[in-house]
Amino acid sequence: MAGYISDASSDSELNGRNTGDASHNSLSTIPDHLISRAKEIRSLILHHNEFLLIPKSISLFGNLLTLDLSNNHLTDLPKELITLKNLRKLVVKSNGLTCSSIPKDFGLLSSLEELNFSGNMFEVFPPQFTELSRLKCLYLGGNCISEMPNSIKNLQRLEVLYLGGNRLTEVPAEIGQLYYLISLVLCDNHIQSIPPTLIHLRNLQSLSLHNNQISTLPPEIVRLNLSELSLRNNPLVNKFVQDMTYEPPTLLELSGRVVKIEKVKYSKEDLPSNLRKYLSSAQRCVNSKCKGVYFTSRVEHVKFVDFCGKYRLPLLQYLCSPQCRTTPAVYHSSSDTETDEDEAMANARLRRVLLG
Amino acid sequence: MEISDSGGMEKMKYTDPKTIVPPKNLDELIEELHKVFDSDHVNVEYVTELMASYKSNPKDWKKFAIFDLHRYTRNLVDAGNGKFNLMVLCWNTSQGSAIHDHANAHCFMKVLDGHSQEELFEWPPGSEDDGEMKSKGKKLYERDQVAYISDTIGLHRVENPSHSDTSVTLHLYSPPFSECQSFDERTGNARKVQVTFWSQFGKRTPCAKLPSSCVPENN
Repeated sequence: MAGYISDASSDSELNGRNTGDASHNSLSTIPDHLISRAKEIRSLILHHNEFLLIPKSISLFGNLLTLDLSNNHLTDLPKELITLKNLRKLVVKSNGLTCSSIPKDFGLLSSLEELNFSGNMFEVFPPQFTELSRLKCLYLGGNCISEMPNSIKNLQRLEVLYLGGNRLTEVPAEIGQLYYLISLVLCDNHIQSIPPTLIHLRNLQSLSLHNNQISTLPPEIVRLNLSELSLRNNPLVNKFVQDMTYEPPTLLELSGRVVKIEKVKYSKEDLPSNLRKYLSSAQRCVNSKCKGVYFTSRVEHVKFVDFCGKYRLPLLQYLCSPQCRTTPAVYHSSSDTETDEDEAMANARLRRVLLG
Repeated sequence: MEISDSGGMEKMKYTDPKTIVPPKNLDELIEELHKVFDSDHVNVEYVTELMASYKSNPKDWKKFAIFDLHRYTRNLVDAGNGKFNLMVLCWNTSQGSAIHDHANAHCFMKVLDGHSQEELFEWPPGSEDDGEMKSKGKKLYERDQVAYISDTIGLHRVENPSHSDTSVTLHLYSPPFSECQSFDERTGNARKVQVTFWSQFGKRTPCAKLPSSCVPENN
């Protein structure tokens, strides 16, 4: 992927003097005329050549900020690469790299801000990558990665995460901790569901989910401030699912509901800790007009919401009873002002979304 | 303005693809396109061949190659004396368009860099039948190849299928239009959309729509 708004020319901070561009040749090693300028070169552009390996002489380029070795025949990265202490951008697209190609101390390249390993043969997400705490952009598109590690959360400065064209089946909840993420690309995988923690990505502007196996989405998704959302080619539910199985509530559940709805007061002296714990696990019925709660007995309900003016999203919600689909199961004569405000906000948001 | 599919009875200029001299650069292609579209009759096969014969050179179009993180960009190159619009579209990895029509105009699309995948769709049937749109198949276009579509052929979605490489395409629309329809693949529902440009003639134009009059003043 090209950077933010970028044109085809090189990075703006570099001028001709500091750039060594020997791309589109048949080179298998770094040419002498670039070696002689090694200390002054900030950007070394060597894509579309015949490199089988990166020579040890790479360590001579001590002031390097950008290295591009895309479209070569690399199967390994040498440990000498780690001597490039100032390296900010490393692009090695379309080579033959796998997880074992990455030196174990790769995480020491702490100045790295942009890493692009698209179009290689990674089957495993290299754990060393999650040690790069300054990383802003991570491109791993077009590989064979089947799992995203939970340690992804360590990349606290990440703004762009590209994992399109891999073999992911799910997304870890930890993704919600990447607070500065503005672009998340997960298209062309085998993803079956999206974690609700995605709601925490308040800065997310584009979300690419097309060509996956997603059948429903968490309702929280409508609260994201997205300008772009792609959902095509997912087995999204097309029609209202009328009757999903509904297990009648247990006596425990029914009593719990009454206690919560009627706001019956209780204290340590009244109930054993396991029951107090149970009572605090109550969930609000998602029907905003219903004041009902549920514990474990709930109805799965698929509701359609128009989103971004382009899509009718099937959202999976939990209701406290089958009646809640149309009318609230529980009314309340008096209500909290706080709850009313939340309610009004949620309704306003839904209305905005429905009107496109 | 009439656009015909094959040479008519008269042997008019700009109808026989064998007479095409490949333009040496983008400016020459534009110059030639002005001449071709100046006449009332435009030959689809001729225009396709003419555009295909220009061998893409990044130096010609580098200044229009602006990529965005979130969506593809449209960069107006030439307003064709009001007869056509010529623009460069820049697609970052895996970016694609909605399914759209072409407002009764003709659309020629040439790949300048990378690859472009076109998926053709049938027009959705009448308003009663709310069903998934029918795909007519996908075609992959490589550098220098040219695709052609019009409303009579159908609708399409265009995307960059690569997860590693960007893609740049050159689009010619005749007559020019500022509004078309985009379609929801799952229901066939259509909505009107405005054609907006990220840049025009090399200059950034935020939220700029198509200028209503592209004909220069005759001073």
